[in-house]
Amino acid sequence: MKQRRIALTVLLLLPPAFTAPSLMAQPASIAEAQSEPETDLLAKGAYLARVGDCEACHTVAGHKPYTGGYIFHLPMGDIVSGNITPSVRYGIGSWSEKDFARAIRKGVLPDGRHLYPAMPYTSYALITDEDIHALYVYFRHVTAVDETPSQKSALKFPFNLPGLMTGWNLLNARQHPFTPDPGLDEQQNRGKYLAKGLAHCSTCHTPRTQILGENMNQYLAGTYVQNWHAPNITSDPISGLGRWSNDELAAYLKTGHADGKAQAGGPMAEAVEQSFHYLSNRDIEAIVAYLRTVPPIRVQGQKSPAWAVTEPARAEHWEVIEAGQGKADQSDYRNTTTTEGATLYNTNCASCHGISGEGSKDHIFPSLTQNSAVGSHDPTNLVMAISDGIHRQDIDYRTVMPAFSRDNQAIHNWLTPAQIASVANYVTTRFGKENANLTAAEVTHITSRTENDVPFVVRNAALLTISALLVGLVSLACLIRWIVRHSRSP
Amino acid sequence: MAKEYDADVIIVGSGVCGANVANELAKKGKSVILLEAGPNLPRWKILENFRTSGRHYDRNNAYPNNPWAPTSNKPGYIVNTGEFREQPGLLKLVGGTTWHWGGATWRYIPNDFRIKTLYGVGRDWPIGYDDLEPYYCRAEYALGVAGSDTEDQSGQHPGEAYPRRSQPYPIDTEELIYSNTLLKEALIPHGHSVVHEPTVRIHKPYDGRPACQGNNNCDQVCPIGTLYNGSVSADHAVRNGAKLITEAVVHKITKGEGNKIKSISYLTPSREEHTLTARYFVLAAHSFETAKLMLMNNIGNSSDMVGRNLMDHVGLSLFFLAPQPVWSGRGPVQQETIMTSRDGAFRARYSANKHQLANNNPQIDIARQALEEGLMGKELDERIMDWSARMMNIYSFLEPLPDPANRVQPNPDWKDALGLPGLKVHFTISDYVKQGADRIREEYKNITRLMNGKIVRITDEFENHDHLMGTMIMGTDASDSVVNHEGRSFDHPNLFIASAGVIPAAGVINPTLTAAAMAIRSADIIAREV
Repeated sequence: MKQRRIALTVLLLLPPAFTAPSLMAQPASIAEAQSEPETDLLAKGAYLARVGDCEACHTVAGHKPYTGGYIFHLPMGDIVSGNITPSVRYGIGSWSEKDFARAIRKGVLPDGRHLYPAMPYTSYALITDEDIHALYVYFRHVTAVDETPSQKSALKFPFNLPGLMTGWNLLNARQHPFTPDPGLDEQQNRGKYLAKGLAHCSTCHTPRTQILGENMNQYLAGTYVQNWHAPNITSDPISGLGRWSNDELAAYLKTGHADGKAQAGGPMAEAVEQSFHYLSNRDIEAIVAYLRTVPPIRVQGQKSPAWAVTEPARAEHWEVIEAGQGKADQSDYRNTTTTEGATLYNTNCASCHGISGEGSKDHIFPSLTQNSAVGSHDPTNLVMAISDGIHRQDIDYRTVMPAFSRDNQAIHNWLTPAQIASVANYVTTRFGKENANLTAAEVTHITSRTENDVPFVVRNAALLTISALLVGLVSLACLIRWIVRHSRSP
Repeated sequence: MAKEYDADVIIVGSGVCGANVANELAKKGKSVILLEAGPNLPRWKILENFRTSGRHYDRNNAYPNNPWAPTSNKPGYIVNTGEFREQPGLLKLVGGTTWHWGGATWRYIPNDFRIKTLYGVGRDWPIGYDDLEPYYCRAEYALGVAGSDTEDQSGQHPGEAYPRRSQPYPIDTEELIYSNTLLKEALIPHGHSVVHEPTVRIHKPYDGRPACQGNNNCDQVCPIGTLYNGSVSADHAVRNGAKLITEAVVHKITKGEGNKIKSISYLTPSREEHTLTARYFVLAAHSFETAKLMLMNNIGNSSDMVGRNLMDHVGLSLFFLAPQPVWSGRGPVQQETIMTSRDGAFRARYSANKHQLANNNPQIDIARQALEEGLMGKELDERIMDWSARMMNIYSFLEPLPDPANRVQPNPDWKDALGLPGLKVHFTISDYVKQGADRIREEYKNITRLMNGKIVRITDEFENHDHLMGTMIMGTDASDSVVNHEGRSFDHPNLFIASAGVIPAAGVINPTLTAAAMAIRSADIIAREV
């Protein structure tokens, strides 16, 4: 490990000219994009752009599509997405199809500058030449907008060092345009192409290494993304999706909601809303077929799936609460300090999810039994759903579960971290696996995880780089001394 | 440089009017202090209070009624001296009295602004519909209103979208519940106008609020936060930089140079006094309490009109049995509205009206009546089952005219825990309204007949509907009006009133949206001057 770290930091120090050959942008030729009837190609490109969810990261709400400006707040600094409209001055209007392919698949711009892997080029590397062509034709035809995002990417030291990404790419960007896997059937291969490539499932669902590359030994085994937990989606029957039906998986991808299994929140809600929702049933089915073939990874010690709690439990203390003693002119009427889970559940949750956690019969309000967020050993998504709410635009209806944290609430209703912990504990005790022992501090940790859970190497990168530089200089000095000495020897 | 003022603008009251003024000014980068006499409570606590109260028909009982900030439930706080008992459901907490309301958010129609010119009664507004129209739009988007862009809301322009709108409603209309479809089918072929009520009880999510799921509890507290109330805008204001101070009971207003308001003072529950200065002041403390505060301090009253011209949409109600089960009490508390008599030449002689089909759960009233009739055992059970399925309820508003004799004043004979006076209200119902009520009774018979129903009861006594207008009346003439068309005091150039109390002609529609639109308009004017 240590050796690899040093290898990386040495790579960082190589001069830019050595690592990033600068190519002059070739004037783009529309002619090369004319072999198929153009409307079909355009439609195909538009569809593929949906699968790749390009718009989500290259558009800021209230601005024109694909004009960029979306800011990724990462431990390494802020990364700002670019304008990918065909504007010659500010967008990709001067790019040739080759330039386009290189940027998407390799993360290298026509001028040789490197993109950062907030752009999922490690996955997009799988895109075939044919699909690159359709995407290129599509992006030549979106409305050109002559504006540039007001903010620029600003990485902290040492991530702003030239050459860094070349080294990183050598270690992490190792995929090539897709070739069918002879061990899979046609549908599974289509699914694999989409899931590993454009749909970039792995970007969120595969744990990362110390240097933030995807850890392929843990492919799709689940990890944390924007404070939420992107669950294990391997074929494991206990920890993964092995016991979900095809229909449930398809419904989840199409609508963000699988009855009796799970509901999409946070970044997955966005992915459903902006991407999966638009996929053809055939492609959804293909992705499902492929996910079945992903090697199972079991969470050690897990005995049953997160959604597998089936017995609805009646809320306790209900009768006690009903009896009541409140009087409007007494301080009880404005005392909001309780951390009693039953009281908080009944006044914050039960109006929609039912006093027994049963949800509504039409499942618009999900049950809390048979619910992955509640039954999971990891309370992250339960806490995040309570704290941030669920916001999803589905096919049939829009879904809003209001947020309950003081900062995010929108209905004049809030809970303190201690109250979120106690309501989450009540819910997991009554409707989950009785693994309730959350504290206020843990709730705060979960809701601010992006700032806390940064790999050691990334967190200490500046120090490590300087150390490596010193080690390098000392080694170099030793080496020179050794050479000088040996050259003097007879 | 020493700080000259504590804030650019100080706003008294965090209900729908005050909170919207605060949010508009905070959005524009003004420094804002928002004062609220009551506490700041999360919704769940109010829901807990509601459930524990055991008095579910008392819509005020879930809310704190603090000795230093009483609600209208406090015995002695409101004393009536007129023939009519004007007892509104006034609340004191962040968000104000919209914590419990039906959510009706109508616009006035152009003729409502010109009732004196057109019909020779009441007072004209100092502005017209077109002046207010852009602000109606902004209020509808601030509150999140669901409404129909295609219907005639006046009853006078069949087939036309009326009144004119420059922007669509932010949310479309929901599907009709069964009883409302029956009403439409029965009435429209006979010349009645039956239209969607614009509402902030929304059937699609908006601004982080979830879609309505039919708890049928708007009149007490919405348990899931679908129904807009002023606290939504107060929270926006705070996130946009406004400073909210709660349990701050404003009692003193001081004048300075040029008749400008110089400072206001408030008392905490423990009677500590704090004084704050600002360039501009906005009073948004309810039609009663704002008038009381002005009269206590002799502010803005050169016309002697503060507290006078009190208007409310008093009305009647009809209970009838439909021939078939309609199951009132499922879903929204109100939906369709009969606008047949909203406007017309008859307004020269008697009051217009609006009929609202209520969809509240009728069982307690049914059981009470059955017990009073002496029903017991099986008969009682059958009555409750049968009538609960078939009972329908319509309640109606009448249009009051401004009369200076109808008024609210401080009541020095009653004092709250801080030693501040209570409210003395004098309200009588005019012949204009009473004749309108006679017409309502005829219409009730007609509606019941068209529905093939059987009348159970038409109320004898007028009911109040909490729509308190006129007490800080708006006009063109400083000698008979408290504020001008901007909502600005004629006496104090840096004092504005944001309240339904400025409304000079009441029409027959719920006034909250108009009050919010006027508040946003005033905020724009203030923002240009501070």
